[in-house]
Amino acid sequence: MNQKNTKHILSIMVDNEPGVLARVVGLFSGRGYNIESLSVSEVDSHKFLSRITIVTSGTKIIVNQIKAQLGKLIPVHNLVDISELDSFIGKELILIKLNVKNRSTYDLKKKLEGLEAKILVDNDSELIIQFTGSPDDINKIEKIIEPIKIIEKTRSGLVSMTTGTDYIKK
Amino acid sequence: MKNISGASVVIKTLIEENVDVIFGYPGGAVLPIYDELFKQKKLRHILVRHEQAAVHAAEGYARSTGKVGVVLVTSGPGATNTVTGLTDAMMDSIPLVCISGQVPTHMIGNDAFQEADIVGITRPCTKHNYLVKDVSKLANAIHSAFYIAKNGRPGPVLVDIPKDIQTFKTKYLGKKKTKIISHYRPKLKPSLDQIDEFIKLLRKSNKPIFYIGGGIINSGSLASKNLYKLIKKTGFPCTQTLMGLGAYPTSDKQFIGMLGMHGTYEANLSMYNCDLMICLGARFDDRITGKVSGFSPKSKKIHFDIDASSFNKSVNVDLTVQGDLSKILSLIIKEIETKRINFEKKKIVGWWKQINKWRARDCLSYKNSNKIIKPQYALQRLDFLTSKFDPFITTEVGQHQMWAAQYLTFNKPKHWMTSGGLGTMGYGLPAAMGVQIAHPKGLVIDVAGEASILMNIQEMSTIKQYRLPVKIFILNNHYMGMVRQWQELLHGNRLSESYMDSLPDFVKLAESFGATGLRIERPGDVDDSIKEMIKIKGPVICDVVVDPNENCFPMIPSGSTHNQMLLGPNDKVDGEISEEGMVLV
Repeated sequence: MNQKNTKHILSIMVDNEPGVLARVVGLFSGRGYNIESLSVSEVDSHKFLSRITIVTSGTKIIVNQIKAQLGKLIPVHNLVDISELDSFIGKELILIKLNVKNRSTYDLKKKLEGLEAKILVDNDSELIIQFTGSPDDINKIEKIIEPIKIIEKTRSGLVSMTTGTDYIKK
Repeated sequence: MKNISGASVVIKTLIEENVDVIFGYPGGAVLPIYDELFKQKKLRHILVRHEQAAVHAAEGYARSTGKVGVVLVTSGPGATNTVTGLTDAMMDSIPLVCISGQVPTHMIGNDAFQEADIVGITRPCTKHNYLVKDVSKLANAIHSAFYIAKNGRPGPVLVDIPKDIQTFKTKYLGKKKTKIISHYRPKLKPSLDQIDEFIKLLRKSNKPIFYIGGGIINSGSLASKNLYKLIKKTGFPCTQTLMGLGAYPTSDKQFIGMLGMHGTYEANLSMYNCDLMICLGARFDDRITGKVSGFSPKSKKIHFDIDASSFNKSVNVDLTVQGDLSKILSLIIKEIETKRINFEKKKIVGWWKQINKWRARDCLSYKNSNKIIKPQYALQRLDFLTSKFDPFITTEVGQHQMWAAQYLTFNKPKHWMTSGGLGTMGYGLPAAMGVQIAHPKGLVIDVAGEASILMNIQEMSTIKQYRLPVKIFILNNHYMGMVRQWQELLHGNRLSESYMDSLPDFVKLAESFGATGLRIERPGDVDDSIKEMIKIKGPVICDVVVDPNENCFPMIPSGSTHNQMLLGPNDKVDGEISEEGMVLV
């Protein structure tokens, strides 16, 4: 029996109707499963479908249970365990607001240059940075910024899709 | 096409779904629907005395007919009172549609009078639920609710309808022209390869056992018929879960008793020692498996179920086959018959010899008495004296429920209604009402305990109003017997709060509701009183005073395995019950 915890990225196509997120989240909390990150938004405004990406972890048995239980929810149309497929992309967006009162931001901007980070707001008191990348990339950029006081930050949670022809159908 | 009110749509959709009975209780937020009910004659409404009872009655109706049970309640407390019933139906996979009134849409979220977020509250205890905020989508919601309730693994569906939606006007074009949920299509048919693989495994086995659950009953009478054929063709032994009793006739020789915590010695040891376990529509529940790590260690396991989430949930199996059991069993029988496959009975002679040795232990024997009524004796007599009436049995929850499962005969599906998964005390009386409504001429008996019966005793009033000839057979031992049994076994015999003091006089109680009350105190009077109870045309409460000290055996103590059964009061637990076992319920 495989007792090792592994990380899984589940992509779920659901009816975009009131309460659908509560059903998914309630299933996780009610049955004691983990949610490491969650992102959801409408992706088809004609068919009223939303796509939910959940990062979860557990033993093989638990993850199979999670998938089977999700599959039973009536508004769930389709579900793919993206991390079980050969090749996929996972991206996340982070916004960081820095307190730059009375300090030079020259060094920081230099470091960020090569990293495709965008500076959205830049004035005497604050700097807001937008960065998109894999969760690992985001951790790296947080390291770089660390010496400067972070006022607040927010992350979107992972969104993910496979490369090639193995994709989630509506 | 004329525009009609939402309340009128409710009535019309129910009629189109072939509903003939609704169990309910009116209130402010459902008055428009009750007004429409008043104006028509096709739907019969049964007025219960508590909304929980409405749900259990609908469960009894559904389980004894195979149809969807329907409940109608008001908002707030009316709706929250259904939660236990809905959870019960969810656990036991009973198809129900519960319609609840809600405060008008513009008041939702305002903490209005009798407002409760019932869709939020029942999300985890229904298969699905709807809050209808647009009257043009009401018919869709109700027809979809029926579709969802009965297709796939059955379950309860709640439709919450705000009061303004009930009065708004809309067009209703009939069921055929209403778009119902389109993407929910449960997998019903397995592949033929899986069936072939299954038959191969059957032919290889020397020590097989069929492990049958309530899924067979839910799947319909064809499933039971084909199951019977399959078991007869193979000659294999079969055991049934509490939910499965009656799927295969329990008086047949190949049935070796119920399994699990209070299952028979031969059933549990066969499960432990088998080399092939064929699970049909059961879910390896903790009452069945005991300690999972020691569950049937030497067997190959095959699991047939309509619900993929039942596979490998607690026990790992070797082959899973998803689909509707009646379709699966038809395919299996067809395959066996067209290929003329024979099963060598010689192969399993040794296995049967072993099983019969275990059987000879006669684990359900008990020491009878001529001074005090043993509960087992009362049930054996009840079984004997009612068998020719083909009775419908419901139960409450506790010792009496386990004894009923052990000592009564169930030769047909849909004749045994008990709260299996949730273990709801107070289930049996309202369930019996629902059964009696569905089978007005049938003999319906609620085997009860004196503690459980008090949990929905108000339903005596419903029984009186509709002249339901339900027979309530109380095994009165003055204790919450199963609680006491566990306290004796696990808590040093400290009988904390399990004594039932200040019980009513059940005879007078029956009489006050226009029913007949009987009290049996001596073993010699049991037969005559049961005969009298059956003979009486109206409702009867039969208060059977039984031995207060009797416990329910065999028993697998919590945290133990199938080969560690206690067979009687003199059997002691080997050493201390582990801490792991102590925390289990």
